[in-house]
Amino acid sequence: MSSATAAPAAPAATHCPYCALQCGMELTPVEGSASSAAAVAAPAPGGRAPLPVAVSPRDFPTNAGGLCQKGWTSASVLGVPDRITTPLVRGADGELAEATWDEALTLVTDRVRAIQDRHGPEGVAIFGGGGLTNEKAYALGKFARTVLRTPNIDYNGRFCMSSAAAAGNRAFGVDRGMPFPLTDLGGADVVLLLGSNPAETMPPFVQHLAGARDAGGLVVVDPRRSATARLADDGQGIHVQPVPGTDMVVLLALLHVVVAERLVDADYLAERTAGYDDVVRSVSAWWPERAETVCGVPAETLRVVARRLAAASPAHGGRGAYVLTGRGVEQSAQGTATVTAAINLALSLGLVGREGSGYGCLTGQGNGQGGREHGQKSDQLPGYRKIDDPAARSYVASVWGVDPETLPGPGKPAVALLSSLATPGGPQALFVHGSNVLVSAPNADRVRERLEALDLLVVCDFVPSETARLADVVLPVTQWAEEEGTMTSLEGRVIRRRQAVEAPGQARSELWLLAELARRLGSDVHFGTDPAEVFDELARASAGGPADYSGLSHARLDADEAVGGPGLYWPCPATTAEHPGTPRMFLDAFGTPDGRARMVPVDHGGPTDDVRGDAPTYLVTGRVLQHYQSGAQTRRVAELDRLVPEPYVELHPQLGLRVGVADGDRVRLESARGVVEAVARWTDAVRPDTVFMPFHWGGLGGVNRITSDAVDPISSMPEFKVCAVDVIPVTAADTTAHDTQEVPV
Amino acid sequence: MTLHVPTKIVVVGNGMVGSRLVDELVRRSADAFDITVLGAEPYEPYNRVLLSDVVAGRTDVAAISMPAVSGEHVRTLRGVSAVSVDRVRRTVTDDAGAVHPYDHLVLATGSQARVFPMPGLVDDDGVVELPGGVHALRTLDDAREIVAATMNSSRAVVVGGGVLGVESAYGLAARGLDVTLVDPAAAPMNRQLDADAGSVLAAGLTEHGVTVRSGTRPTEVLVAGGRAVGVRIDTGDGGDGEVLAAGLVVLTTGTVPETGLAAAAGLPTDRGIVVGHDLASPADRRVFAVGDCAQPPQGSRGLVAEGWDHARRLADHLASLVVALQDASQRSQERPREHLRFPNEDERPSMAVRLGTLLATRAATDDGVDTRGTDVVKVKAGPLSVVSMGAAGTGRAPRPGERAVRLADTVGGRYIEAVVADGVLIGATCVGDAQVAADLTAAYTRRSPVPVDPAFLLLTPVMPSAEPATSPEHMPDDATVCRCNGVSKHDITCAWDDGARTKDDIAAATRATTGCGSCTEAVCGLADWLSATRDGGPGAEPEAADLASV
Repeated sequence: MSSATAAPAAPAATHCPYCALQCGMELTPVEGSASSAAAVAAPAPGGRAPLPVAVSPRDFPTNAGGLCQKGWTSASVLGVPDRITTPLVRGADGELAEATWDEALTLVTDRVRAIQDRHGPEGVAIFGGGGLTNEKAYALGKFARTVLRTPNIDYNGRFCMSSAAAAGNRAFGVDRGMPFPLTDLGGADVVLLLGSNPAETMPPFVQHLAGARDAGGLVVVDPRRSATARLADDGQGIHVQPVPGTDMVVLLALLHVVVAERLVDADYLAERTAGYDDVVRSVSAWWPERAETVCGVPAETLRVVARRLAAASPAHGGRGAYVLTGRGVEQSAQGTATVTAAINLALSLGLVGREGSGYGCLTGQGNGQGGREHGQKSDQLPGYRKIDDPAARSYVASVWGVDPETLPGPGKPAVALLSSLATPGGPQALFVHGSNVLVSAPNADRVRERLEALDLLVVCDFVPSETARLADVVLPVTQWAEEEGTMTSLEGRVIRRRQAVEAPGQARSELWLLAELARRLGSDVHFGTDPAEVFDELARASAGGPADYSGLSHARLDADEAVGGPGLYWPCPATTAEHPGTPRMFLDAFGTPDGRARMVPVDHGGPTDDVRGDAPTYLVTGRVLQHYQSGAQTRRVAELDRLVPEPYVELHPQLGLRVGVADGDRVRLESARGVVEAVARWTDAVRPDTVFMPFHWGGLGGVNRITSDAVDPISSMPEFKVCAVDVIPVTAADTTAHDTQEVPV
Repeated sequence: MTLHVPTKIVVVGNGMVGSRLVDELVRRSADAFDITVLGAEPYEPYNRVLLSDVVAGRTDVAAISMPAVSGEHVRTLRGVSAVSVDRVRRTVTDDAGAVHPYDHLVLATGSQARVFPMPGLVDDDGVVELPGGVHALRTLDDAREIVAATMNSSRAVVVGGGVLGVESAYGLAARGLDVTLVDPAAAPMNRQLDADAGSVLAAGLTEHGVTVRSGTRPTEVLVAGGRAVGVRIDTGDGGDGEVLAAGLVVLTTGTVPETGLAAAAGLPTDRGIVVGHDLASPADRRVFAVGDCAQPPQGSRGLVAEGWDHARRLADHLASLVVALQDASQRSQERPREHLRFPNEDERPSMAVRLGTLLATRAATDDGVDTRGTDVVKVKAGPLSVVSMGAAGTGRAPRPGERAVRLADTVGGRYIEAVVADGVLIGATCVGDAQVAADLTAAYTRRSPVPVDPAFLLLTPVMPSAEPATSPEHMPDDATVCRCNGVSKHDITCAWDDGARTKDDIAAATRATTGCGSCTEAVCGLADWLSATRDGGPGAEPEAADLASV
């Protein structure tokens, strides 16, 4: 099944390359031209080469035969004109030039050795990505710990999942974004969605909200009237529109009402939780009227929402309720606490660990779940084990065939890692895999400065992303339809990614690359290049860990799919009788030592970079339907780029009138960290005290150049989602000045 | 390491502010302070603000317990009152005779309910003694007794039309009692609301079952068998007045700061315990007062937000003194006697503390500590939305440069006032519009710049949306039909012209309906319309398809 050499002719049943919904799709290789009507309805404009595969949706539980525009057009990324097909090395002239693999890897190996000699093993760092397959994520973590022996590995999931993960681990003893199948949402009366906009980010997800909408129970908490918030229109639910950075106050007030009106599930609390008393006391200070003065949501709305949620809970005879969080509330310096508040609410109503109700976080990146389980995280070993746990170190070392003493300890989390680059004592070399940090990291101008100061920047990618263009060495790697592997979807289901086409030119899998680098660096640790074999090793390494994959293999996943099986969710340990996997977690006990969920009191502190006289407006960031993450892929798809070709600033007409920015004008946003500029769009979907910008671009309109890199004290998640800015009209003089200024791409 | 001995703090009062101060101190340092708390009530600290909700039956008593701070260095004595302070020896003596030494004393004694002596409420010597069925609403016991009394009485009179009176009247009415609100002023909440706003509130109360008797004054509580049976009110017509039958009388006629202990200790008191901006008594810088009992230069409205602000500021101050002491002891090599010097208000705290304080308190204005944001009065009366903040209504003395805009929609049950100066909202009143109230509060507490025309503040800032198209004919060509795939009406029309006839044809040509499927109905409606108009099919005029959601 895992052959990567024979050119497949039959359609490949695989999944979309983008988000964590991992919509099922079928890829049919196209001979000669793009002819499949179903797949390529709009022919690739601009007389491009025909696409190598045709995309058609497949019936899979998360998408039920639907695809969004990103998914439909995903094959275009396979044929982009600027696809990287050979290694590139920066020459004496400062330009990236084609090189052979041998030349490129010789250079990388020599430089790495020299840097290690001068700065020790921690002088080389790795930055991974949540889009990598489980196999690649695993190999990357193993490579860092056994070949480079550096503690300095982290990944862009630190920007996505870390707060929910920290809160989930603390409360439940284990973190699986959704500890239940996605389709369970359909049966609930109420779905409370905080800081998430799935109508743009994962459109087919919206199908699963139909039940709640029919019951009038979709509650969307978002400072913007987003596409998702509009799903609550016409009596289908309630849009709660707090001041940015105050979602936690909404949650504390909801719990206050639930407690005050005796709506808690007392039996459940007594049997299944610990810490309730302290939590109750902590919310006594957040009565709805006080909460209103902080979060700007009318007290009565908070009461209505709390009652609706409670009425839907099993204890009150409802059909079920879910509390779901997303990046909007998690990407905050109090992100872990905010998720904890959401969990406390769900626990108080007895929702968690019950079929038909629950708490979940909506994982964003394609393999945002699997990517956080197998060792890319700075403090982690495969199977979601802790790197500072002696038993975990010794077990994983035995799988890897190394001495546990040689494994490094915890490294620096993403923001700290990036800001330590090329500083005394910090890493002098960085490998980047599946990430475009120059666009996706906060305070990005500083990130650029750090990357430029490195002795060696190696970027593995398939398109020349903003980050790749800064690299000393760019290595061409395979993408989605060109490789085999597994992904773990937002619901913890382990699924197969299958190859449909050959990779172009000299692009190679990262599995091969890491094995080759290990060999060249003189390591005798084995690195497999067959994804199925690597998966088997990953499964062994995960055995006994919280995310136990040991009962799984490519063959078993394929067989389950072939017979239309229910799918396989971790934990799925190797047992004598085949373990069925765990679609629903916590039904009997939580993953804590005593099996009880931990309730932890939390309080609201507010944004680190709050509004003030010279920056009186909140900036929030987010996504548009047509683009994915840093846009490195989707900006190269003509159909998507045509619809949303550039960044923009959404602002309320009242704000526009006050500062003198008309609809369609250029507008500048200035934060304590820098300045960005984009076209203004007037809309009443944002509060008059808030502006919104999507973050899929770099350059002049790259909003992450001004977002805050303050981090959560527990998860180290940066506070992307709220900071203070001044909103300034762009004058003709400014534009001229900018034209002559070097603008980062 | 450091040689310091924990600083001894005695806090008199274990209410919302006293307990908050202890919490704030422990958060700053778990071992720098040795804290003793004396609380007169036998209970753990509870949220007094919610007592009116308890009376209303909206809040479970179990839900009002506040965090009880514990720790090695915190000793809380409940049911113990302080009886005297010896400022020379720096000790507090409690009612059990125990003596508690302090380095700093914090008075958080709160306030008492004010009771006007009138016949029925005083004994023969003129000393206040409440008969059965008459209660102030100040303590948890009061609230419990009122709740118990509602079981036996179907009629209640609430005396005093301030915030607490309004909340109590609303709450008792919500319990099904026949409630009369007796208030000498022309309209309820006259400390905050002007006449128009007050009349809107009165109408709202009436709608919720409260009989509002503004402009009437209680003159006597009628008592039979030791229990209240009614209240006589002076209706201002010079007659004998009128008797309102009532088995339950709730007195909400204001509060009096509890200053007795301070006065007996020789500290200056006025309405409250006189303190400076730093919350220290001008007569003794080791003694502070916070919360309701304090009278700082900028005055006090008796709101808990102010008290919590006091607690936070005082904790910062006390922590800075400790840091200064520690710094001093670390410098003791060079300046051996430094640590003996008591740090005074001129002592500069460490940079870390100063920065932290700055961040936490935000800007302090020249004329003292800026307390904006702590003076938002938000009435807890369910769907009755009443909020007042800053310089507004009757609490405002107009000054040059201020601009006030008003929307007085008394018949519509709505009154909104926004007062603007220097480009920011400095005060507002909002009755009857919960969303505008919330928006005004957010703008006020954050000092958001106001719109070019402050009148925008009077309405919800949402543009009226275009009437949804009721027929595909009226949909603009560029209207998005399928969001997931960015398909417009125009795209679908083009697909039709290219031969697509069914929903599936259109889906194959445009991908409309292939994302979340929400637009399926709309696409079918468009297909029907195109069929009718382009192919001249049955019914040349299309049915008004259900496209309201398009």
